[in-house]
Amino acid sequence: MSKSEEYDVLVIGGGISGVEASLNLANQGHKVLVVEKDLSVGGKMIHLSKVFPTLDCSACITTPKVSEAARHSNITIYTYSQVNDIDKKAEHDFRASITKFPRYVDEESCTGCQVCEDKCPVVVQDQYQYDLVGRKAAYVPFSIANPRIAAIDIENCSLCGACERACPADCIDFTQEKQDIEIKVKSVIVATGFKLFDPTLIPRYGFGLFKNVVTSMQMERQLVPTRPFNNVLRPKDGKMPDNIAYVLCAGSRDETVGNPICSQVCCMYSIKQAQLLLGALPMADVTIYYLNIRSFGKGFNEFYQQAKDMGVTFVKGKIGKVEELEGGDLKLRYEDIEQGVVKEANHDMVVLSVGILANDGVTSLFKQNLELDQFNYVNQKDLLANPAQTNIGGVYVAGTASGPMDIPDSILSAGAASSETAGYLRGGNHEK
Amino acid sequence: MKNKIGVYVCMCGSNISDYVDVEKVKAEAEKIGGVLLSKTTMFACADSTQQEIANDIKDQELDAIVVASCSPKLHLHTFRNVAIRAGLNPYNYVQVNIREQGSWAHSDNPAQATEKAIKLVQAGIERVKHSKELSTVKIPSENSVAVVGAGIAGMRSALELAEMGTEVHLIEREHFVGGRTSQWNVLFTTNETGQEVISRLYNQIISHPKITLYTGTNIISKKGSVGDFNLTLKVNPRYIKPECKLDKKKFQEAIDLCPIEVDDKFNFNITKRKAIYKNYDSEFPEMPAIDYEACNKCGECAKLCDEIDLNQQPEEKLINVGSVLLSTGFNPYEPPKGEFGYEDIDNVITLQQFKRLIELNGGKLIYNNKEIKNIAYIYCVGSRQVDGENKYCSRYCCTSAIHTAILVKEKYPNINNFHFNRGIRTYGKQEVLYNKASEQGDIFLQSFEDAPTQVEKVGNETIVKIKDILTANEELEVSADLVVLVTGMVPRENADLVNILKVPIGRDKFFNEIHPKLRPVETVIDGVLISGACQAPLNITESVKSSLSAASKVNSLVSSGEIELEPTMAVVHNDKCTWCDKCTNACPYDAISVTKVNDKEVALVAKSLCKGCGMCLPVCPENAIDLIGYTDIEMESMIEALID
Repeated sequence: MSKSEEYDVLVIGGGISGVEASLNLANQGHKVLVVEKDLSVGGKMIHLSKVFPTLDCSACITTPKVSEAARHSNITIYTYSQVNDIDKKAEHDFRASITKFPRYVDEESCTGCQVCEDKCPVVVQDQYQYDLVGRKAAYVPFSIANPRIAAIDIENCSLCGACERACPADCIDFTQEKQDIEIKVKSVIVATGFKLFDPTLIPRYGFGLFKNVVTSMQMERQLVPTRPFNNVLRPKDGKMPDNIAYVLCAGSRDETVGNPICSQVCCMYSIKQAQLLLGALPMADVTIYYLNIRSFGKGFNEFYQQAKDMGVTFVKGKIGKVEELEGGDLKLRYEDIEQGVVKEANHDMVVLSVGILANDGVTSLFKQNLELDQFNYVNQKDLLANPAQTNIGGVYVAGTASGPMDIPDSILSAGAASSETAGYLRGGNHEK
Repeated sequence: MKNKIGVYVCMCGSNISDYVDVEKVKAEAEKIGGVLLSKTTMFACADSTQQEIANDIKDQELDAIVVASCSPKLHLHTFRNVAIRAGLNPYNYVQVNIREQGSWAHSDNPAQATEKAIKLVQAGIERVKHSKELSTVKIPSENSVAVVGAGIAGMRSALELAEMGTEVHLIEREHFVGGRTSQWNVLFTTNETGQEVISRLYNQIISHPKITLYTGTNIISKKGSVGDFNLTLKVNPRYIKPECKLDKKKFQEAIDLCPIEVDDKFNFNITKRKAIYKNYDSEFPEMPAIDYEACNKCGECAKLCDEIDLNQQPEEKLINVGSVLLSTGFNPYEPPKGEFGYEDIDNVITLQQFKRLIELNGGKLIYNNKEIKNIAYIYCVGSRQVDGENKYCSRYCCTSAIHTAILVKEKYPNINNFHFNRGIRTYGKQEVLYNKASEQGDIFLQSFEDAPTQVEKVGNETIVKIKDILTANEELEVSADLVVLVTGMVPRENADLVNILKVPIGRDKFFNEIHPKLRPVETVIDGVLISGACQAPLNITESVKSSLSAASKVNSLVSSGEIELEPTMAVVHNDKCTWCDKCTNACPYDAISVTKVNDKEVALVAKSLCKGCGMCLPVCPENAIDLIGYTDIEMESMIEALID
């Protein structure tokens, strides 16, 4: 089945940058299509607990924006969909093909009641809780998902039909097929975000081998209001940790893993998590092992100072190796840079502050080949005057697709992308 | 009176429910007469809850709602929109703040936090009972904006706004455009110089029919408010006739003749310039200017060329704009005499002076007649202060200093760079510069804030000392030919502007946004927006992103030709008013004047000016003024509930 649609702007990626850019353009009267590969819009931000440096709850900021976009009469959102290819025929004339994958649930009639979830006998790891806990094969992705409706994970589904029988709205439909859509747009915004560094690439840190070594995203999920355990627990034995270590620059500023640059957010999110942990576990000690603390943004250095004042320990040191001790505690071998000696310290939980990397596959979407920079982020052709411009006229970049950045910077980047796109749509002199 | 009220008590995940017993708040609310339903919710702002509230309004025919959650600054409009979608008047909704004023403020005392939340919710319910159906007031708006500051941020947003069809008045205090950017040479990540970027923007600005550029101009007064600001500008004389085509030779002769020498601010005072000047050859506007503060009007230059007119007077101009966008930028921190030897030791200069010095120097790097070999950079001067007020990091200086060190090494390969830092913050892709500097042989030494670097004059030598944590706290020293203080950013001197526009200032003294993520370029003053480094330290790309974001917001605000204002405004009961004039004096917005109704003099409130602040209410001896949305009966019922 194939159909054809027209919009002013195609926004690839429904994270905070894509949503912000879409809202700006839609408020100026442009018709926008947002294509999101995941089951929900909201990107990474919707999964965060509180955000630095204001400690606002992330959901409180993300969900209203997402909800405003979802309801906006000038915005169409396709979740669980992918852009296959984009061809620029002429200025203001892009053709793209999109595939909408089947959720096996009728989007219109599902109420998100979760009865299917109850009845589903299949349990798999929950990607939205970063594998900390399980979920069903028939499931609502997470409680503040948008749209908040069920999907069937067909890869893992046993086709038992329990969900279909139980669904009070009769909306489970195993006959759904993927749908191909051809679209014509005048302009494109790439807001494909980032991926997290895979810490198994640094085996000496022990992630995947030692259960009490977790990633910062797994810790983040333990700190959100919708946290899986309703408390912070060590994965190995469910014990509440009382001596937690953070390993900064895990996969950043590290030529050996091919990522020489700084990820720009890990210092700050680690400092934030440390503060939240001191709230959640008042008796716990938190130690942050760092190379340089990069608290550079508005209010960030004050936030760092606040963490010190609260009693977070900062050690300037590079971690060599993590070993597991009997009982699940961990021994960190590190260079204490200040004292110039190699030391060891025991902790009962280790958090790897994983860096962020460019997402793959962006460049091949475009027939005209979207240029990347040396770190595989979308190349910004005119950084000083037109920061959202790419090498293809009419294609703009927003947020972390162009490089590591935090949420405030992503929002401003999206603002720039929407302004530059609006300029292109007006057909004026868009090279400034 | 409303008597089918819905109450929603939000847990805010756990932000509220960790300290406030939301079930108890809900139960107490339920007991109040007129409350039809009372619920708790995990996230009131989540899409599904919004839908639930909308459904309740429709299904239960609610005539008013109360949401007890966060500050209305965050979500007032979210829930007003829910009401609108469900067909309820949005002013029959009251938001009660039990987070910032409840759980967060009293996290040490959950029992009393709960008690306070109950009281606040009770008061909110009482208020909503008396709420009236209101609608927003629409006032016409000029599709025009005053962009204040013609640095890179102001120039870039001016251009974008003009292209969007908004009339732009670009106002620059100096006689030339380009701000700080034009003072820098090659910029990081590109091979473009600051002056080149400014040239390409200027050429588009000056030819754009929708942009009027004012140089040498200050805003001296403001009347009106969003949609209709009346600004008085003072245009200072340039003493050069507008159509001047001064040729270069004549101009040089005029400079040679001028007897006045002053510090050249463009070169951060390391050189002098004459009263008639241009900062650099290709500067814009292309004609020179005469510094009216420095000029003694000797008339020597005017004898030489007719284009000079020393009789020009300051002019006042009135402009009418819908919005004001501030992009007034930053100043480099100015170290007090003696800080790291500044102004005490003759070879201590700031990074900004050093950047100009490199550009002005030729084949050899010379300062104070001495060839420079060893350069010591001292970081975090004026930033991350332990004792001083500037607790913030200035963000751009690590990268800027390292970038400068690379450029200077390329230009003068024999020099040595020593970086006395407090932890290098070359965030993101800027890390490549740090690596490059290390590879070219720069030496990095680091201390913590409790052991600052020392600068001393020992005989003829300037010694820079540090307890270096990168070599196990060894005391290291360098005999420096030049000490470069890597000074951070402070806001420009903007006291007048702050006073005129009432822009909010943060703890760091930069302009403050409403919310760094939700409304990062807007201020609490409607219609006054901010962008670039006047808000916080930012580099050029970041400033431009911020200015483009602001352009989008300004355009959305003013381009439709009308602006919706809150109906929260003062209203005069003509029968009671005796026109004593007390309210006029109390009004900070000049919104009240006198009018005649049936031959009786009464006060008149201008809708476009009234902000609903309520200042006029208590001074009225006749109690003749009411505030719509906060009427006496609403306020009194809230107070009753709170003290009950």
